[in-house]
Amino acid sequence: MTKSSFFASASALCLGLLLSLGAGSQANAAAKCIKGDRKAPYTIGWANIYSVPTWMKQTQGTIEAEIETLKKQGLVDKLVVTDAQGDANVQIQQIQSMIDSDVDAIILIAGSSTAPARVLADACAKGIAIVNFDSLVDTDQVTAKVNTDSAQWGDQAAKFLIDAIGGKGKILVLNGPAGVSVSDDRRKGADAALKAHPEVTVLAETNTPYNVAPAQEAVTSLLFANSEIDGILSLGGALSAGAVLALDKQGREQVPITGENARQFLELWKEKGLKSWATMQPNWLGAFAAYTAVQALEGKDVPAFVKIPLPVIDNSNIDQYLARAADFPADGYIYSPYDEELFKKLLAEQ
Amino acid sequence: MSTVASSRQAGALYWPVQLRRNVGVRGLFAVVMAFLVAYGFLFPGLLTASGFAKFTQSWFPLALVAMAQAILMLTGGISLAIGAMVSLGAVIAATTMTGPLGVAGGAAAVALTGIGIGGATGFIVVKLRLPAIVVTLAGSFIIGGAALLILPRPGGAIPEWLSDLLAGNTPAAFVLLLLIVLLWKLYLATPLGLSLYAAGENPVGAYRSGVPVDGARVAAYAISGLLCTGAGLFVAAQTGSGDPVIGTAFTLNSIAAAVLGGIGFLGGQGTMRGALAGSLLLSLMISVMFFLGFTPVAQYVAQGLIIIGAVAIPQFRKVQQ
Repeated sequence: MTKSSFFASASALCLGLLLSLGAGSQANAAAKCIKGDRKAPYTIGWANIYSVPTWMKQTQGTIEAEIETLKKQGLVDKLVVTDAQGDANVQIQQIQSMIDSDVDAIILIAGSSTAPARVLADACAKGIAIVNFDSLVDTDQVTAKVNTDSAQWGDQAAKFLIDAIGGKGKILVLNGPAGVSVSDDRRKGADAALKAHPEVTVLAETNTPYNVAPAQEAVTSLLFANSEIDGILSLGGALSAGAVLALDKQGREQVPITGENARQFLELWKEKGLKSWATMQPNWLGAFAAYTAVQALEGKDVPAFVKIPLPVIDNSNIDQYLARAADFPADGYIYSPYDEELFKKLLAEQ
Repeated sequence: MSTVASSRQAGALYWPVQLRRNVGVRGLFAVVMAFLVAYGFLFPGLLTASGFAKFTQSWFPLALVAMAQAILMLTGGISLAIGAMVSLGAVIAATTMTGPLGVAGGAAAVALTGIGIGGATGFIVVKLRLPAIVVTLAGSFIIGGAALLILPRPGGAIPEWLSDLLAGNTPAAFVLLLLIVLLWKLYLATPLGLSLYAAGENPVGAYRSGVPVDGARVAAYAISGLLCTGAGLFVAAQTGSGDPVIGTAFTLNSIAAAVLGGIGFLGGQGTMRGALAGSLLLSLMISVMFFLGFTPVAQYVAQGLIIIGAVAIPQFRKVQQ
């Protein structure tokens, strides 16, 4: 992983993971929900749960770029976008409106891991291709689900941190919001490694939105209470940036910390010379979801679950990411590069 | 029954009085009608049974929480715990209905929780003379926390037949709403119901006239709690599961719907039909703007303009008069 270029390593990682997953279902000719009565060019509905955070804006950017590509190929003629402003009930209503207006495909990030299940089943029954990515719904009534593995995210982060602090010490755990599946799954994933190392003490845990300011505030108050901290297990990129800033503002020494590909965190990492580890939820999951939906509508069999390998950023390859920093918003995420070849490979090798 | 004669006289006055009560919300009714017509025009499927059913299902929980907020605001109170109560109702329904309690037991648990917590909140606010906004804000943390304790992450289940009954392709939700409105009308005819407006508009005067002010206000909180957990039960049925944070957005939306519907913050002002129309407008806007093809950013702007418009129209007319 250290010497090869990032791209090659990512593909190798991806290949390994895919092989280990084994060949899934391949018997069905058409993908789930697809009836074959819909013809190109298609109308794609993008049911967003919340459009304000930068991560979401970047994700929508990759979707719009992909739709432009698909338009040029004559496969798509329209993208319909809704924003539920964080309200899962509104998202259900908007998905219902998409069904009512007879879109050909719906891609969505779910506002609740359970709530949209019934409306999606209705959409599926009408032959609408549904690709659910990032925050998933507990239902099999969709064409495909696309995500990285949140449990693996937590597990790898915990293992790195335990290793970085020498197998013992006092740590803080920074979580995303309570009651949200992604944040819950990452934390659960970290559990096994933490349990296996009883000498690692969790001093305190926080639940904050995935934003810098609330995380900084939460960590600042924990720093007052705990004079000795050996490491921070942060399960989100903006959270890590908040923690680093909190340590810095109080003049405390930086400690090993985990995180995500948030540009602010990566820049702080470099600036403070941290020993860190980060992974990412690539924004191009959105583009890939749109691509997958169109492939399914075109009669291709797509896997029910596409597991996206977690790219790893560490001290060996952080410079490759920071070299591209200028292409991304200051409070955005520096995601790994993608192209149609990668998408084809991800779909073919499941 | 010596009141029969006087009630007959009152009967003759009933419709003129009801019409006069509409004055402040006529503008809103017009806007809602315009949106309904526009929606039917943009989406002809609305006029089919299943289209109408799905549309009323989207509206139903918002209608209930708008009523829950309106009844409190009419007594001069307010609740910031509406969303948390909806979440609590949803998780209780989703964790009990497929268990040994069954649907009836689960529904009873949901109802008792709503009445209990609502009543307790009312008792604290009314008897201890604490500000409702503070008590219900604190309450929202406790209730929201309880919902997370019962169901730490989305899950649970609602029997399939109940989901299909309440949120399938039949307008059951609309029929339920009509029933609830009817019950509201009946409640307003009871002594406690009659005291509601008086307790809100002029509590001291009402008290001196022998109106059970405290009782009316505590009862309003209990009913409000019941409506909230009931909305939670419906959301759970609609989605087939429970989610401990599903209700969050209802707190602000319930206030928006009530205020849009002409309910005053100071108590005793406004009508339930106004609050219902307000909630209907909020729900309609989402669907109509989707069919008009507005981008999300344009929707934010349009929503704000429509709300200001609906509130301002009657004011303009008053100024002209």
